[in-house]
Amino acid sequence: MFTDSTLRAAAASSLVLVCTSAAICASQETPPALQTPPAYHQVTDEIGRTIRVPENIRRIVSLAPSLTETIYALGLQDRLVGDTDYCDFPPEAQLKTKVGGAINPSLEAIAALHPDLVLVTKNLNRLETVQALASIGIPSYATDPHTVDAIIASTERLADLLGAPETGTALAKDMERRIAAIKDRVAPLPLRSVLFVVWTDPLISIGKDTFIADALQHAGAVSVIDSSQNWPHINLEEVVRLQPEFLVFAESADTAGHTTDTLAGLPGWRILDAVKHRCFAVISDAVNRPAPRIASAIEELARQLHPEAFADTPQSDKDNTSPAPPLSTQPAKSSLHLARDFSVPQECACAR
Amino acid sequence: MRPITLQRLILQCGILALILFAVVVVALKLGAVPVSLYGLCRDLISVLLRQTSQISSDYGMIVIDIRLPRILLAIVVGASLSVAGTSFQALLRNPLADPYVLGVSMGAALGAILALIAEPHLALPVWLAALFTPLGAFLGAAATIAAVYLLGRREGQIDSATLLLAGIISSSFLSAIIMFLLTTLAGRDFRGLVFWLMGDLSSPLQPSLRWVLGIGFLIATGAIYTTAADLNLLLAGEKEAMHLGVDVRRVRLVVYISASILTGLAVSVSGAIGYVGLLVPHVMRLLFGSDHRTLLPTAAFGGAIAVVIADTLARTVVAPSELPVGAMTALVGAPLFIYLLRRRIA
Repeated sequence: MFTDSTLRAAAASSLVLVCTSAAICASQETPPALQTPPAYHQVTDEIGRTIRVPENIRRIVSLAPSLTETIYALGLQDRLVGDTDYCDFPPEAQLKTKVGGAINPSLEAIAALHPDLVLVTKNLNRLETVQALASIGIPSYATDPHTVDAIIASTERLADLLGAPETGTALAKDMERRIAAIKDRVAPLPLRSVLFVVWTDPLISIGKDTFIADALQHAGAVSVIDSSQNWPHINLEEVVRLQPEFLVFAESADTAGHTTDTLAGLPGWRILDAVKHRCFAVISDAVNRPAPRIASAIEELARQLHPEAFADTPQSDKDNTSPAPPLSTQPAKSSLHLARDFSVPQECACAR
Repeated sequence: MRPITLQRLILQCGILALILFAVVVVALKLGAVPVSLYGLCRDLISVLLRQTSQISSDYGMIVIDIRLPRILLAIVVGASLSVAGTSFQALLRNPLADPYVLGVSMGAALGAILALIAEPHLALPVWLAALFTPLGAFLGAAATIAAVYLLGRREGQIDSATLLLAGIISSSFLSAIIMFLLTTLAGRDFRGLVFWLMGDLSSPLQPSLRWVLGIGFLIATGAIYTTAADLNLLLAGEKEAMHLGVDVRRVRLVVYISASILTGLAVSVSGAIGYVGLLVPHVMRLLFGSDHRTLLPTAAFGGAIAVVIADTLARTVVAPSELPVGAMTALVGAPLFIYLLRRRIA
């Protein structure tokens, strides 16, 4: 029969397991004896956490494509030891050691790179990742820009943190100058009402608190969607009611041509004036990334929405300025292609 | 039913413990970062000798600080879910019962999410704040199982098919509420929760939660184990058990609360990992018989083994990215569930 001793033995056997684990948990909490590196300082990141980072940050892991781009724009790519599967710009970034996706990176792959600092951005990465990194003693710095100005400020702060303040200031000045130049041109013109299409099926657009909504404003446009969610799921009926003048897509020219052709044939979509008159603006996906290239994306969009304001300057002008334009393989050709096929403003009935 | 002997129980648990140990060693070896077997053994010995400072190897931190805690978490979560599943199967006298199928996991998830939403507004003392999410998950689990139990009765008797349907309906209803909450609560970041909902072991536990989980698991499992002999009699039917001198009300209450605690704990740390609580007890019953005095401990080991294997696959199949562990268990669990269901009908 079942005796007390059996009970005790069973309890004991399960206890052994848990005691071992408890012992290991306990042993873990004692800090590992490291030789303390010379200089640390405290900084507050953009989500309000105070973190301790080495004065001299030599090894950086980036967990967002935008941060990878920023590091390259600051000329600090030699210190970037790892990035995500989605970090594809500049193309060299694809050659860096990959630590997984932005949402589900491998903690151990990050740890194996012994980073001095991991860069994350609130709108893409998970809080759990930040907490997990903290629990194994890897500092992470989070950015959280919601406007174009905040992207510039964030870039400058990041440059200071990583020890490249001069480059950061120069880069910020350049972005400010380019955005101000666009603003001068489009400011006198009426705002274009646009629907920024993140995804067509289901239809996902942008909320008012995103930096993309702000970027649209800088390009002389305003999103017809006024949602407090960042990536609202929009009912097509609502779009038909709002009748935006332009649909804005952020993708490569090849896929965009396909998307717009498909939309023109779809019920619901085809009764949109913007679709009927093919008032599409297609800009590079740089607009989706809170990184220095946002300035190029704003310029690209402004040129397509308000071509009359740029009549005196040819399209290729922006290609001289750094950072390089986004359409990776044949930038000049793609830009021309875009200008010809997608923005037909003169005969566009919806353009006021 | 063969009479239980201490030797047999120790033998069975010993074998399973050895298998678990082997699986843990393999799980420690595998991962996004390659680790040599020699380096692994050296590190493990240093840990056992409590000389963690001796670990100088490049990968010591990865194995000891990242993989080991995660594997230990998988062990406790697997054992909890499996013991909870065994208990629900006995309590409801339905071999297809399981926290996930009955909607109890979703109830716990909803409870945990409500606790997460409420917590910042309540100014709780620190010790309660750590307990708050597991507590919410426990209440959610307990409420759901009570509702499913009431809905699953026909003419005063628990009806197997009605019970399962009640569970499935509760599960989809609760996940609809969760989706509603996650979409409407703008301004707070709940994207992490969507990953967690599918079952995810990638986030290390807060130290305070480690103790809550470990102690809660021990107490709840121990409490269920004290009713093991009564659960055997309960299998014959509630009236029959009562005639044989079982305090059915007490047993039901103990098992109901303890199984809800186990589910709540497991869900609050790892989300909804399905099918472990369903299939592991089945396999253990086939291997070692349906005496709850052996079934409960063997199911605990079996659940631990299953979740450690599932999580190892989840973090290696698409390395360096990760899959939710719930996707791995469902991939194997759902077809097996259908097989068992059909075999039972036939």
